[in-house]
Amino acid sequence: MSQEKKISVRETVYKKNDDLAEEIRKNMKNKGKLFFNIMGSIGAGKTLLLENLAVKLSTHYRVFVINGDIATTIDADRIAKHGVKTVQINTGGGCHLNANLIAKELEKINIDDFDIFFTENVGNLICPAAWDVGAQMNIVVVSITEGEYVVKKHPIIFKDAEIAIINKCDLDGLGFDSQVLEEDASKIKSGMKVICTSAKTGQGIDDFIEALGIEIPRDE
Amino acid sequence: MHEFSLASAIVEQVKEIIEEHKAIRVKKISISAGPYELIIPDLLQDSFKIITDELEKFRESVLELIRKPARITCLECDYNGEPDSEGDEEFAFNFKCPECGSRDTHIDRSYLTIESVDLELPS
Repeated sequence: MSQEKKISVRETVYKKNDDLAEEIRKNMKNKGKLFFNIMGSIGAGKTLLLENLAVKLSTHYRVFVINGDIATTIDADRIAKHGVKTVQINTGGGCHLNANLIAKELEKINIDDFDIFFTENVGNLICPAAWDVGAQMNIVVVSITEGEYVVKKHPIIFKDAEIAIINKCDLDGLGFDSQVLEEDASKIKSGMKVICTSAKTGQGIDDFIEALGIEIPRDE
Repeated sequence: MHEFSLASAIVEQVKEIIEEHKAIRVKKISISAGPYELIIPDLLQDSFKIITDELEKFRESVLELIRKPARITCLECDYNGEPDSEGDEEFAFNFKCPECGSRDTHIDRSYLTIESVDLELPS
């Protein structure tokens, strides 16, 4: 014989992930490290932006980049060419990184060997939004070639972001328009830092670094 | 397709509850979600079936999804409750404050919650 019992749980499904993310965030903060999570669609230009950041930051800081992709090490290899340490997480079919995947990679290194950490999340404007990876700041990258409605269609991912990057602005006026994306990103959240960049020409990269709160010492 | 991740998270959390109560199996899991979780119910159910297929403690268990209305907290005027019932013509999701019209709102995503589980326990 057995008996039935209803147990009231009332606990968020994200609890384990959120607890671990908070632990990562606190640990990084206590050690004086910076940790940024870069999200955006496939082809928005996240990897090329990170290549730009790697070039500018690696002369003064020890940078560690965690790339998320369903397969291949293409992105991590591209960024590693610029003198920063990278690791590629292959999620198989998973459409986002999570705190557990990040924690596993951080366990393999000595955090004190680095100053600034980035994740390049799996290319997707939906799924990464709900999964906290433990970063101190979220950045969403959209590019003007994704069309003028991309922010209107995917506003939720911007809710947890502090910076919205409108990329590929070198194509502004050539059949694409950055202004509507800038305006939409600003409407979702007050205080959102909206920056137009071109990872191809380098436009706006210094503004991006400034928005991240990273200082690059001037050369003597 | 984050439904597979969500189903995995649900199963992992329920496994702990089964263990804690030394249950024979779980008969029903009730979860609640609002529109900001962007869940496709059929995909969640399919994922749940795939993950629990060979788990004896989840044999014939039912995943019940309770839909709840969206909830926001306005960062301009402190309103807490459902977003503007007239909707938002501009954005695909409505998180507009009905009191002051601001979109500068916190959206409550902790809504995706395991409400309860029905366990079969040894007598």
